[in-house]
Parts: sequence; structure tokens; C-alpha cells
Amino acid sequence: MIDKIRHSLEKLRHNEDQLTLVLSLVIGALVGLVTVAFILFTGRLAARMYPAGGAGWRRILVPVLGSLSTGYLLYKYFPFARGSGIPQTKAAIFVDDGRILMRTVLGKFFCCSASLASGIALGREGPSVHVGGGLASVVARNMGLSPRQVKALVPAGCAAALAAAFNTPIAAVLFSLEEILGDLHATVLGSVVLSAATSWMVLHLVLGDDPLFHVSGYKLVNPSEFGVYAVLGVVGGLGSVAFVKLLLNLRVWFRTLPKWTVWFQPVAGGLTVGLLGYFVPDVLGVGYNTVDKVLNGNIVIQMVVLLAVLKIIATAVCYASGNAGGIFGPSLFMGAMMGAAVGGVAHAIFPNSTATPGAYALVGMGTAFAGVVRTPLTSVMMIFEITRDYTIIVPLMISNLIAFFISQKLQPEPIYEALEHQDGIHLPSAQSRSDAERTHVYQAMKLAPLVLSPDATVALTLPKVTAGAFDAWPVVSGDGLVGMIKNSQISSAAGNGGGEKHLSEILSLNEELHHNSAEELPHVHPDHSLSLALERMGTSGLNVLPVVSRANVRQLVGVVTLSDILETFGVAKKAGS
Amino acid sequence: MKHSAGLSFIGTFSLTLLAIAGLFAGDTFLAAVDRTENDVQAARLFGEGQALLAKGDNAKAIDRINDAIEIDRNNRDYFRTLAKAQLAAGKTEEAEKTAADLLDSDPIDGQASLLMAQALTREGHYPEAISYFHRAVYGHWDQDQEANRRKARFELIDLLAQRNSKEELLAELLAVQATPQDAKARIQLGDLFLQAGSPARAMDIFRAMLHDPTANAAAYQGMGDSEFAQSNYRAAQRYFETAVRLAPENAAARRRLEVCNQLLELDPMVRGLTAAERFRRSVKLVELTLGEYNECPQTNLTPDLQALVDNANAALTAQVSPVKQGDAAESNLDIAEQLWQARKKAPCKLPADADRPLALVLARLTQ
Repeated sequence: MIDKIRHSLEKLRHNEDQLTLVLSLVIGALVGLVTVAFILFTGRLAARMYPAGGAGWRRILVPVLGSLSTGYLLYKYFPFARGSGIPQTKAAIFVDDGRILMRTVLGKFFCCSASLASGIALGREGPSVHVGGGLASVVARNMGLSPRQVKALVPAGCAAALAAAFNTPIAAVLFSLEEILGDLHATVLGSVVLSAATSWMVLHLVLGDDPLFHVSGYKLVNPSEFGVYAVLGVVGGLGSVAFVKLLLNLRVWFRTLPKWTVWFQPVAGGLTVGLLGYFVPDVLGVGYNTVDKVLNGNIVIQMVVLLAVLKIIATAVCYASGNAGGIFGPSLFMGAMMGAAVGGVAHAIFPNSTATPGAYALVGMGTAFAGVVRTPLTSVMMIFEITRDYTIIVPLMISNLIAFFISQKLQPEPIYEALEHQDGIHLPSAQSRSDAERTHVYQAMKLAPLVLSPDATVALTLPKVTAGAFDAWPVVSGDGLVGMIKNSQISSAAGNGGGEKHLSEILSLNEELHHNSAEELPHVHPDHSLSLALERMGTSGLNVLPVVSRANVRQLVGVVTLSDILETFGVAKKAGS
Repeated sequence: MKHSAGLSFIGTFSLTLLAIAGLFAGDTFLAAVDRTENDVQAARLFGEGQALLAKGDNAKAIDRINDAIEIDRNNRDYFRTLAKAQLAAGKTEEAEKTAADLLDSDPIDGQASLLMAQALTREGHYPEAISYFHRAVYGHWDQDQEANRRKARFELIDLLAQRNSKEELLAELLAVQATPQDAKARIQLGDLFLQAGSPARAMDIFRAMLHDPTANAAAYQGMGDSEFAQSNYRAAQRYFETAVRLAPENAAARRRLEVCNQLLELDPMVRGLTAAERFRRSVKLVELTLGEYNECPQTNLTPDLQALVDNANAALTAQVSPVKQGDAAESNLDIAEQLWQARKKAPCKLPADADRPLALVLARLTQ
């Protein structure tokens, strides 16, 4: 029996597709359970730290002690577990072949748990993503998988973690692709989806079907509300920019302090949140209970305004000072407060044509998320998954896009990218990827100066090609392009006494032309990127490629040469110029 | 090397599966502890909320119950009590929303329907409120279903009585006709039947209670009211007299008796009157209707109306021989009736008291 299982596992190890499928499920289950443990452990720890009816001084002392102890642990034992975890996960994927250490995973789990339970105003989602990605990395590496396979499984772990931490599996998939990989068309989509779905299932199996937020069925009361949602987009965008700028500037300031202060710098965050929390307890922790209250319209407008401002300050200081925890949850908190404030004012002025503040709080959550994290698709999907109500989607999209554009305009660098840059890490962003794809073949191509016939003889062709500037030439018959012939092939045939040979004999062409793939017939299309053209030149060993029509791969529309490509990039001049 | 890679794969795979099993057990245990502790905390907060509600500190009660709900959202009692507290605090819109949420998840929740009906009644949405009262009456109640349904129906009856919706009220009363056992409730039921325009059914109830020493004064008054409603003033007078005798402190019965007495003294249609007495009453009726008319004289008197007023004044001063008193009485009653109609058309409204003897006598005359 054991031998049979061992045999099956061995077989599985050598079948990559099946292995990916099985590991996606296993990692989904493992990460889901660890995330549930993280949530429960943090919750129980928080209940011990803040017992019901506890004295007010606890609200100052507990965050200070929490940040002091976790600060020391992070400094001494788990330096990579500091902060949110999302920039670290991205760095691991793009820089370290998906390598995240088990020590970092453990550090993140326990330090974040203690930190969040003590009331530090940060979120659990970013750390969960780091833990999830880390677990996927640890499992894959210990199984002896290749770096490529490890890198492919880390996003699956991230999606699984987010699906369990936030109870939104589709948004988790999108976040993993949109933010972690920066590519919505990534090839790992299948494993990411499987993993997120498994994790979500595990979450429901253990914790039941209780949603993270309990939201009434909000609807658009009147079309004129779109105007109010647009205002919310502006407020959310400006609020997001204020938060991001404050956090980044504070972080720069903390980094200018002497190195020996690093271990107790988190106390600044603990003390700030403690002092604010002493007077306004809702500032403490991630604050999802408060968000829930606001979503159900149970907080007065003055209080939500105050909470929005205090949370921006508390989270910025907590994060910048080096506490463990994310900004995902706090940005939702801020958004809910800003939304409730805008909605509260609108509802007071136009009670009959606007929804209650809860609806605006809900949209505000997505708005702030789009403004801070800059993943508009994820934010829309996330709110849709929370509400499961289609009618809120249109106002949500309006607000989100306005906030996204304002944030992009006033803070061009997205927060996670800016944090990486502060750490000296430059990862490929979606923007940089699209920049690389921006130059196309049609910008460098030209008409072929010489087209050869397959019936032409070597003797006749040789003088023409040696006079030309290319190393290879397109050979075109009545049916169209049949291939590329190199100068060296023609010279070699002529040297071997094959002057009367036809070019078709050298190319060994079949009667019927059915080889159309890029490997068999190297070519590019006009809309291909120049980087792909370079790649194909390298693969085929040609420094000139035929450019063919997309409608008919045999229809030659021009040629593109290496020197033309380099000239387009501005790194080489044309020969002779 | 390849062999060791295989072992590492199998070992890690097995270890991961073991970790999954261990974590599942651990998580299940932690989740159970979490649920238990949360339930205890929620119950404590809910208890505090209930105590505050009982003290009348509704705002704090709402906060405390909301805190309990934040922790345990699956307890429907918390939501029901929250809706009660919101109603008590005058936050009817919020109470309506809470009840609506409850009904979304369980449309036949009797108590939630009742709370919704109460909220809608406060907001003045009576047709919707009545519909929710019906849902409460036929809905499901966790405890003491029959008593709660009856309570809901009586609340509905109260609303219908206040709204003077006679037909709907009668329909509801018929459903509870046999229900109340105690004397006070049965007296109320009889009164409601009267209000619903069914004095005969009211009399059936009151008659059955005439010999109940705890309620016979009220029963006699009820009988009086029922007879009165059927224009049997003489019989009503007798019942009221008995009611006053049994309960001299009963001001309402005394007042009704007085009305009866006045009416019977004024009514010219009472059997057995002499011609002189009938004439005297007709003159009195002309005098009283003219007085009513003069309370609100019309500015643009038509010639006909002026003639009618002149005739009334003439009738009051006329010396009529006994032989002609029969015809004169008929003429006077005609004048009184016409004056009464003119008074009704006058710009200022008649006093609302429908039980005024003059109004009742003239109403009989026009029948």
C-alpha cells in the first residue's frame, strides 16, 4: 500500500501539470488553515489583552508593550517579517526566485498576531499574503521543485491567504494577479484560482458562512446620487493620497534615525495608537467591528470624520515606525469612514434622493482601496463579493476610478512600489511592462530590398546577396513566403560546386507549404513588440526577420533587422551613417 | 541524488498533509473556543442591554445590544430586542430596518412582523402596518405561540378601532369572539363590537354578563349603549339607570342616562303623547333648532330662508287653540327639520357630539 502511494507520488512528481494541480489544492488547504489559525489566534490574544470592562490605561500600555516586544523580535530574529508583507512577497518572486524562508513565515505569523492583538492600527491581509506565499515557497522548495515552479506557486499561496483572510476569493485571485504579479494574463491563473477556492472552502468549513461584514442590500435611490458618489471618489482619492504621502514621508524620516534605534522605533507607533485609542477606542486594531457598525449606519457623522483622520495618522505612524502589519485593512477602514461622512452629509441634505450613509461607507471602502493600493479591478470585485449585490457596482466603479485617477495624478508611484524603492528594490511594475511592450515591429520594419525566388540558381543569386547589407533574405514563391535563406548557405552551396542548384533545394522545401509556426518559419507580425522580434532573432539565429501579415503568414509585408531595432531604441546608428 | 530528491518530495508532501490534518483539528478547536467565548460575552452584553431597556435607558440599551450583535449575529432574539429598544427610543426608521432584516432571513417570524407593524404604525403607514399585523397573527413564534398571536391580533384590533375601520374591525373581532375569558376583556370585546357597528353581537356578550357580579355594572352600561345604538332609547334608559344604581361613581353611564332622559323628553315621536304635549315638544324643537341656526346665521339670506326664519319666530309666539295643536305640531316639526337642514349647510360646522339629544331627535325625524 505504502509502496503504491510512493509510486503514485513519484509519478506525480514527474508530471508537471498534474503536480501543479495537486499542489495548488494542497497549498490552498494549508494556507487557508494557517490563515484561519492566524485570525483565530489573533482574536483570542486580543480578547486576553483587552478583557471586557478592562481599564482605560490598558489601551495605552498594551500597544506600547506589544510594539516594544514585537519590535525587538523583528529586529533580532525576523528582520524580513517587518511591514505589510506584500512588497516583500513581490521581491521574493521577482528577485529571489520565490524564496521566502520558514523563519520569515513564523516571524510574520507570531509578530503580526501579537502586534495586531495589542491594538496596533494595521491590517492582517498583507501579512497573511506574505505567510501564504511563504508557505507555498517553503513547501515547493522542500519538494525539490525548480525555481520556475516555486515562483509559480507563490502567487497561489498569496491568493489562498487573501481568500481566507478577507473572505473574497475572486478578489483574492485578482489581487494576486493585479498587484503581486502585476499581470492579469499571467499563466499561473489556473493554480491561483484553484488555490483561492480551496482556501475559501476551508475557511467556510471551519468558521461557517458568516461574512466578514454584514451589509444591508444597498441600492441606488436616485440617479442624481451618481454626483454624490463622484464627490466620494474625490474625497477618497484625496484622503488616499494624504495617507500614502504621510506614511512614505514618515518612513523616510524613521530611516534617517540611528540604526541602533530600529528595534524600538515601533514603540512610536504603539504610543501614538495608544494615546489616540485612550480617547477614541475605535482607532485601535484593524477596526472591522467599527466598519461593520458604520456599514449599518450605527455611528454619528462627527465620529466617522474623527475616526477617518485618526486612523490615517495612527496607521501611517504604526507602519512607518516598523510594526508588523498591513495597510489593506486600514485603507478599507478609512474608506468606510470617508464614505459614511460624505453619505451622512448628502443624506442630511437630500434625505429622499440619497441612500443612507452605510451605502456610501461601503462604496468608500472600495474607493480608498483603489486610491491607496491602486488595484481598481480588485477593489470593485472585493466590494461586489462583500455585498453580492450588482446594483452597487456602477456607483462603486465611478468612485473607484475617480479616486484611482486622483491618486495616480497626485502620487504617481503606487504605495507598494514606493515602499520597495525606499528599500532599494526596483521590481517590474505593470507600467514598466507595458512600457517595454510599447515599441512595435511596424515602427522599425521596412520593405525588403531584395526578394529571392525559390527557382533562382545559386550562381545568379550570390552576387546580389553579397552586395546587400543583410545576412539573410526572404525567399518568395507564387504562394508567398517560403523561408529565409542565409548568405552563408548560398556561399557554402556555391563553394561546394552547387552553382546551378536552385534555392529551394538548399532550403529543402516540400512541395506543400504547411509549416507556419514561428519555429519552422521564423517571422514576426507588424504589431509584435520589438522585444519579441529580438527574442525570435536569437532563437532563429537570423539578424533579419520577415514581417508577415496576420491574415496570411505567407504574405510578406516587409523585413525587420537587428540594426533597425537598435536604432529604434536609440542605441545604434544605421551602418554608414 | 535523484533518489534523495524523490524522498524529499514524498517526505514534504506527507508532512504537508499531516500539517493540514493537524491544523484542521487545531483550527476546529480554536473556532469552538472562539464561538463559546464570544457567545458568553454577547450574552453578557445583551443582558446589560435588556436591563437598561427595562430601566428606560433606551439609547444605552441600543448601544449595548448592538455590541452583543457585533459579536453574535446569529441570535435572532438580540435583533428582536434591538428593534424593541429602537421603537422605545422613538427610532422607528431604524426599528423598521432591523425588523426588515429579520424578515428577510425568516419571512414568517411572528415577532419580527409585529415589530415591523408597530414601527409602521408609528410612521403612519397604516395599510402596511395592518398587513404586518396579519403576518404576526399567522406567523411563527418561538415561544407561547397562541398567546402571542392573540396579543398581536388585539393590537391590530386596537389599531382598527382607532382608525374606525368598521368592517375590518368586525372581521377581526369575529375571530376572537370566544377568546377572552376574563370579564374585563369580554366587556372590551363588547365595546369593540359596538364600535364596529354590530350592537346585536355586543348585546349577546353583555347579556351573558349581566349576572356576573364583577362586571354587571359595565354589562348594563354596555346593554344600554347597544340599545341606544339601535335607537331603542327607552330600553337604553332602563339599562343606564340600573348601571348607575350599581355603580353610582360611573360618570359615563350617568352622562348617557342624562342624554337618554333629555332625548326622551324632547322626542315628539314617542308613543302615547297627548296632542298638547306633542305640540309643546314641537315648539321646543323649533326653539332649539332656531337657536342652533342663530349660532351661525347665513349672510346671504335667500327669500325662502328668510321666510323659514320668520315662520319659526312666528311659531314660537303663536297662540294655538287645542283643536289646532295637532296640525300646528306637524307644521312646527316641518319648520324644525328645514331649519336643521339649513343649519347643516351653514359655513360653521355643527358641534361634533353625535349623541346630542337634539341631533338624535332630528335625525329620527328625517328618517
